[in-house]
Amino acid sequence: MLGFKARLTAGFIFLSALLSGCSLIAPQTYALKEQRPAGLPPRIELTQVPFYPQEDYFCGPSALAMAVTAAGVPVSAEDMVDQVYLPGRKGSLQVEMLAAARRRGLVAYELAPKVEDLLRELAAGTPAIVLENYGPFKWFPLWHYSVVVGYDLDRLEVIRRSGKRPRLPTPLPVFEKIWREEDYWAMVVVPPERVPVTANEARYAAAVVALERSGHVKNALIAYQALLERWPGSLTGQMGRGNAAYALHDLDTAESAFRQATRDHPDAAAAFNNLASVLGERNKLSEALAAAEKAVALGGPMLTATAATLEEIRQKIAAARAEDALRTPIPVAPAATPQPAQLSPPAPAAAPTIKPAKKRRAPAA
Amino acid sequence: MKFLSRLVSQMLILSMVLLPFSTQAGMIGTEQIVSNVTAEANRDKVLEFVSRTDVQKQFEAQGLTATNAADRVNAMTQEEINRIAGKIDSLPAGASSSTGWIIAGVIIVAAIIWYYWK
Repeated sequence: MLGFKARLTAGFIFLSALLSGCSLIAPQTYALKEQRPAGLPPRIELTQVPFYPQEDYFCGPSALAMAVTAAGVPVSAEDMVDQVYLPGRKGSLQVEMLAAARRRGLVAYELAPKVEDLLRELAAGTPAIVLENYGPFKWFPLWHYSVVVGYDLDRLEVIRRSGKRPRLPTPLPVFEKIWREEDYWAMVVVPPERVPVTANEARYAAAVVALERSGHVKNALIAYQALLERWPGSLTGQMGRGNAAYALHDLDTAESAFRQATRDHPDAAAAFNNLASVLGERNKLSEALAAAEKAVALGGPMLTATAATLEEIRQKIAAARAEDALRTPIPVAPAATPQPAQLSPPAPAAAPTIKPAKKRRAPAA
Repeated sequence: MKFLSRLVSQMLILSMVLLPFSTQAGMIGTEQIVSNVTAEANRDKVLEFVSRTDVQKQFEAQGLTATNAADRVNAMTQEEINRIAGKIDSLPAGASSSTGWIIAGVIIVAAIIWYYWK
């Protein structure tokens, strides 16, 4: 057990180290002080971000409500309680903060653990939700979410909306200390047409895929298009754009997206597979066959799916040929026309099940 | 009744999990491209289902209703499910209590002192 005096001294050393932006406790602030990052305005404050005061343990819901509203979808803190608050924990989990933002059709993106990235997002007009830990000891954590809405590099502080305080300027070293405890966790909520300035291609793509998966396909399509504007060659972007457009029955866009993907990524079996599917659906069968064969030839982990697509297109071709074969005899035997004409509708449907074995060889010949 | 609603919500989860894998015959979903899901997708599907029901049960143990828990589990990606499965009672849960504010207050006061100091 340490004596009171020793602990006091230790605390004093700690506090003075903290407050001087010491490289041990607030290394990024220290680096920032040494050299200011290029292209950052000296001060920013996003006054348009609304403030929702926190009730009891609801800092998660209120922080999220501010960010979601700022991204263009007006919600109240009460709206978010049911989606992020966990009664047993008297708090909100990080992944639920991300998921709940997506449920509103917005892209939820986790920032890289850098003070500089946080400041760059603010400079671009995006507020960020940060997870802080005020706990004095590792075994006594006090987690808290707040929304960072601004900074001032000359005064070396950030401006937060936190708890019941609509505008709380906090010295950057202090902020970094409590933020660093949770590995500098920060997220931004952005409308689908805007890519966060500091976004990384793979992680942003994953965020959009998550949005698509949550059922907001229309917004996901917009986000994929935004992704492609930033990173034109992105395979996930091209495939996502195609898949989302396909899900929305926009076959023109789907086809052009998959075509682009096959041009930019000639070894992506999934791109050829999906192109083949769309072409098959649009009855461009010979082109579809070529794409499906290419997908199978590329092999890889998707082989089961690509082989199934190839089979389906071959059956479609077989069915189309059977239909042609039925149509051609018609002028030969005009007397018999009424009956085959009546019979012909069920015939094409039955054709693939009856003749696949025979017709499978036909396209290869 | 509770059993029934749980059954229904679990079926819903299963269908949601299977959804990205069965978009349409012949289409490969974007999620599969990102996560490099292999031909063993069937095994993964079962694992996903297990982890999702697991998280849902943990949510219910934390005081959520079965339907709310199912909705919230459905809103998460598999990666997010994996991040919290089995750790729901220990992961950071942003909340802050009054004790927290006292400490924050001390830090802020100390910061103000530093202002006039430097």
